[in-house]
Amino acid sequence: MRKIDKKQADAYFRTRTTLVTIYLLIGFSASFGVVMFAEELSGFSVNGMPFHYFMGAQGAVLTFIILLFVNAIVNDRIDKKFGLDQDLEDKK
Amino acid sequence: MDSQFLVSLVLILATFGLYIGIAVYNMARQTSDFYVAGRNVPAVFNGMAIGADWMSAASFIGMAGTVMLLGYDGLAYIMGWTGGYLLLTFLLAPQLRKSGRYTVPEFIGDRYSSSTARLIAAVATIIISFTYSIGQLSGSGVVIGRLLEVPTAVGTIIGVVLIAFYSALGGMKGITWTQVAQYLVLIIAYLIPVIFMSLQLTSNPIPWLSYGRIIGELQQLDQQLGVSEYVVPFTEATKWQFLALMFTLMAGTAGLPHVIVRFYTVSTMKAARWSGAWALLFIGLLYLSAPAYAAFSRFILMTQVAGSSIADLPAWTASWVNTGSLSVADTNGDGILQWEEIVISNDIVVMATPEIANLGVFVIGLMAAGAMAAALSTAGGLMIAISAALSQDIYYRSINPKATESQRLLVGRSSIIIATVAAGIVALNPPGAITQIVAWAFALASGTFFPALILGVWWRRANGPGVIAGMLVGLTVTLTYIFAAKFGGFTILGIIDTGAGVFGATAAILTIIIVSLATKPPSKETQEEVLDLRYPEGMTYKDGEVWRTDPVETKRPEH
Repeated sequence: MRKIDKKQADAYFRTRTTLVTIYLLIGFSASFGVVMFAEELSGFSVNGMPFHYFMGAQGAVLTFIILLFVNAIVNDRIDKKFGLDQDLEDKK
Repeated sequence: MDSQFLVSLVLILATFGLYIGIAVYNMARQTSDFYVAGRNVPAVFNGMAIGADWMSAASFIGMAGTVMLLGYDGLAYIMGWTGGYLLLTFLLAPQLRKSGRYTVPEFIGDRYSSSTARLIAAVATIIISFTYSIGQLSGSGVVIGRLLEVPTAVGTIIGVVLIAFYSALGGMKGITWTQVAQYLVLIIAYLIPVIFMSLQLTSNPIPWLSYGRIIGELQQLDQQLGVSEYVVPFTEATKWQFLALMFTLMAGTAGLPHVIVRFYTVSTMKAARWSGAWALLFIGLLYLSAPAYAAFSRFILMTQVAGSSIADLPAWTASWVNTGSLSVADTNGDGILQWEEIVISNDIVVMATPEIANLGVFVIGLMAAGAMAAALSTAGGLMIAISAALSQDIYYRSINPKATESQRLLVGRSSIIIATVAAGIVALNPPGAITQIVAWAFALASGTFFPALILGVWWRRANGPGVIAGMLVGLTVTLTYIFAAKFGGFTILGIIDTGAGVFGATAAILTIIIVSLATKPPSKETQEEVLDLRYPEGMTYKDGEVWRTDPVETKRPEH
């Protein structure tokens, strides 16, 4: 066990928290946001359905899946940047 | 006994044989194995197991029917049940994994240094999982009832026997690999009929791209009939109910003990993030298909069943009328079955679909096997959560701390049998549609565990008295609202029983914050432990300093 700079550890925490906040904002706009304005957003079609219906049936779910994979990939990169790559550590 | 019965039965028995074979092969020997499967399941497979655990009878049997009958308003279930994985994977799973506790009550008890809080959490786990399993048993009743052409209640009793036997036998290790098999069976069973229907109706084998056209045709059909249009929002309930239901399902997902426990089966925080992502991808396959089912089935019912002579209805209608879930009475006596004269239960749409589309005995049998996989796998996970709460958190930690491992296993297994039988008795006369019963379980989870876990992980000032008061208030408010809305006709902003979680969660969060601030802050060790959750494995927070540690040290030793 060795001491590391707390600033560096907190930078990790801040990066993570900022990213998660952004992801959640995107996810909530795709779901709650669209529902709030469902009537207004029904004027045009995507994939053959009115937009509000498309978002409820497909758009929001796809957004969620993409967000989770983006998070997993980006977080692995951040771990690497902070020298916390768990795969490498496991192989030692 | 017709050929359909034999084909369905053979497929169900064959898939069951596969699951039980895997379970027996991995027969649990030690408690740590029994509960968290040794923590070495790769993320992709853990994602499939989460998917099987998650996609219950409500998703498989109930959801497409709910979307079909509610139109746009039913999509709250689609977005709510998938969106919960955002909250879970972003805000809870990695932190809970780092905390290294075995069960949700154990985490709550340790985090808030309170055995009362742990006991309340254990009781809440039992209430939530129990409610949820009523929906599963009621779903297996629908499947077995149709298969044997017996009343749904008799089907439920058969389901109880199967589930009790199967959960008590396997344990989690069996269940993790069994559930990978179950996921594969249920997703194949779900996709084949919808792909065939897509081909039949649109000559396009990709339902996700083709059903938009059908939705357009449904809009025109609705206009001709003058019924409320399929895609028009908020025809069944208010916008607030939609939002409240969606919130309840999301927050409930993030607080469901039997789903969270899955994230303890991974070895690292990284694996927790990947498991969540894979899980949602596998779950999304089914959730993206449910609205396609709904659109196709509604279209076939409107164009091929409605408008036909009452004396000349397709053969499949008769067997569903026998189970009591379909009614095709010619109420205006003109000899023709009108669309308005078809009364179909939410819970049979998916099961009846292959028959409606005339897809043949094999597909119908596969569907029955898939539905049983969905009901069984979720019930298995729920029973493990109940047995863990009873044998670890209540019996071992509070009643008999000297209990040997075999005593604890005995308590665990007998609690599974008792809980299954009790849930089966309630399911004999189910208090609502499957999706609705399951939504109550989510409301309870969002009123108790969601606030306790979110604040426990993200706010170090939250303390024992706060969480005890918060969980009790959340549980009371949620239960009271469900009963008041369901039986008393009491609603706020048109929010009905299924949206109760929004009130439970708000009340619980406020209570935890107010009571925590009014009482002593948690001990320094507890606060440090919460701060430590901010950092990844490999970093440990101690006395205001952060230490770099070998990941091997931070992995919790196996018991």
